[in-house]
Amino acid sequence: MAKRVVITGVGIVSAIGVGKEAHLRALMKGESGVGKISYLQTKHTDIPVGEVKMSDEEMKLLLGIASESVITRTPLMGKIALKEAMQDSGITDASRVAFINGTTVGGMEKSEKYYMDFFEGKNTDYIAAHDCGAGTEMIAETFGKFDFVTTLSTACSSAVNSIIMGGDLIRSGRVEAAIVGGAESLSKFHLNGFNTLMILDRKVCNPFDAQRNGLNLGEGAAYIVLESEESAKARNANILCELKGYGNACDAFHQTASSPTGEGAYLAMKKALEDAGLNPEQIDYVNAHGTGTGNNDLCESVSIQRLFGEKIPHFSSTKSLTGHATSAAGGIEAVISILALLNDFVPGCCQFQSPIEETGLMPVKDCLKNVDLQNVMNNSFGFGGNDSSCIFSKIR
Amino acid sequence: MEKKYIHSVVRITNNQLMHNGELLLTRSAEDSSWPVEMYRGLHLQYPKFFKMDNLCKVGFLAAELAMKDVGVSPETEKPDFSVLLLNSTSSLDNDISYQQTIADETNYFPSPAVFVYTLANIVTGEIAIRHKIKGETSFYIQEKFSPATLSDVAELGFMPHKGIREMLIGWVDFLEDKCDVLLFRISVNPENSISEWTDEEVSRWYEAGVQKK
Amino acid sequence: MDSLILELKEEIIKSLNLEEMTPEDIDSDAPLFGEGLGLDSIDALELIVLMERNYGIKLANASEGKSIFQSVRVMAEYISKNRTK
Repeated sequence: MAKRVVITGVGIVSAIGVGKEAHLRALMKGESGVGKISYLQTKHTDIPVGEVKMSDEEMKLLLGIASESVITRTPLMGKIALKEAMQDSGITDASRVAFINGTTVGGMEKSEKYYMDFFEGKNTDYIAAHDCGAGTEMIAETFGKFDFVTTLSTACSSAVNSIIMGGDLIRSGRVEAAIVGGAESLSKFHLNGFNTLMILDRKVCNPFDAQRNGLNLGEGAAYIVLESEESAKARNANILCELKGYGNACDAFHQTASSPTGEGAYLAMKKALEDAGLNPEQIDYVNAHGTGTGNNDLCESVSIQRLFGEKIPHFSSTKSLTGHATSAAGGIEAVISILALLNDFVPGCCQFQSPIEETGLMPVKDCLKNVDLQNVMNNSFGFGGNDSSCIFSKIR
Repeated sequence: MEKKYIHSVVRITNNQLMHNGELLLTRSAEDSSWPVEMYRGLHLQYPKFFKMDNLCKVGFLAAELAMKDVGVSPETEKPDFSVLLLNSTSSLDNDISYQQTIADETNYFPSPAVFVYTLANIVTGEIAIRHKIKGETSFYIQEKFSPATLSDVAELGFMPHKGIREMLIGWVDFLEDKCDVLLFRISVNPENSISEWTDEEVSRWYEAGVQKK
Repeated sequence: MDSLILELKEEIIKSLNLEEMTPEDIDSDAPLFGEGLGLDSIDALELIVLMERNYGIKLANASEGKSIFQSVRVMAEYISKNRTK
């Protein structure tokens, strides 16, 4: 019998704030953190993004790190989120804990900043900090030695896949607890890349709307502390909710585009439901991937219709608030889903006006309060056809 | 821990391509394009190959061989198959190519087709597209090749709730002409297998390539 | 126009990595996407870059490509009317 996996802590940093209290406030009010670029140095100032509203210096100050220390932006955000998650859970000994970090862009924002310097032998310490794995190690070292540390890199579904891996490690008895999620900073590298894919909205994005015109990139970090129920009970931890089920499937259609039938997304959600032992009608809210691109939102809508039929649960995308934080997105949205579950509210797609013609699906527009939520689903899809879904449930 | 068995193993180094221990191809010249040479040497017909970055190319080639004796055609949907890969340099080889398209302000034409491959896990996607694999796909980044990590990943990949029957699992690394690939097709079924999947066997197949260099 | 068509075919082969094709293999009037050359959405974006780099034509929206990339001939006609270099 596989072990039951519970959640005993969360930590989050995104465009809408630092910490879960700040997120709760912004989500309830529908305050967007997407706006004009001010921290990343780029000439693409016409592209709105969801930046974490702190400079590297301010983050170092908050963390008590010397200003001259060599550290990139991704691990800075990661450390803040990890600290909050660890404190929230009350875990102090990392030696029986796995740390699985979803990240893809690594230390790119510093490599591109110091690229020319490298040739002159300046700022070369940042070369070693470029690696995705290096960022993970920098975050991990905040808390001594973890039992198991790895970096998971499956583009925008990285963080949910890290949740899946953590769940597997606990269920199989490999570890007692796992801190899972992701961290990713904006970089010129991927801002340019997404720009050439011509999928960046010049306004605040509008997921699931007929007039949607692309996504807004974002950044941040978020982790959740997964723990076996026994371990959590043995140390009298405050159990927030349960990781009830999860699934990953491959769309096997195209490197970047989703299939018109939403096959991968459908399979991932279906697997998560089966794994959780739930029927579709037991899902009360879906925090959708909902990037705001023509392709994703249509295909995801189709897959939601396939799975839920006539009874579509409340669903929304919170990316018009946070932006799309790529590898961190699944972690940020997992924490948002958990906050929604614990506080019985559904965050909204604030920009929404008219439904997608092909499906007619209506997402939640304004935050719904006092909704009785028992099970919430969090979708996260990545390039490479990598589709994941996980379900969080209240403990009754 | 359930036993797992190796059904196919592909090793690609800087200059050799081996399948189940048999040396299939040796690189003709140091300055040749090794991935393209292998593609031609294996007489493959998959025009999309030429659009891929090097990491995808070598992953694709290894998968072609590893899936050769699987018993079903590439077109057959495989919901109970997964692709789980690891490496240490992520997509750095292609990141460098992409950086070159945005580095020069006076000749600034970032290429979308190159950008797409700046993600390490696209190789799992390319393999899944080719072989219609719909199960789990994942990509891990580790400092160096480690049989123990591979074993952990395989163990999790076969957990019963995933319903996976067979998987492609291995190390696929490519950076600036340095190619280091070890790809296995493994399952829990011992029938027609080459050997049991153990850390020792994994090490042996990895070293086999290293020594012949 | 014929020389522009040939030039375009060569450029398309090069920038889309259609390794095993020659200009003769591409029918000037056949659709580039779907049935024709079997190109996809990323190829379309790459053609947009090609038009900007070689002919100074900038498209603001990817959907504008649809009508322009009907065939090599249509593309050549559009380029000869709108090119700035």
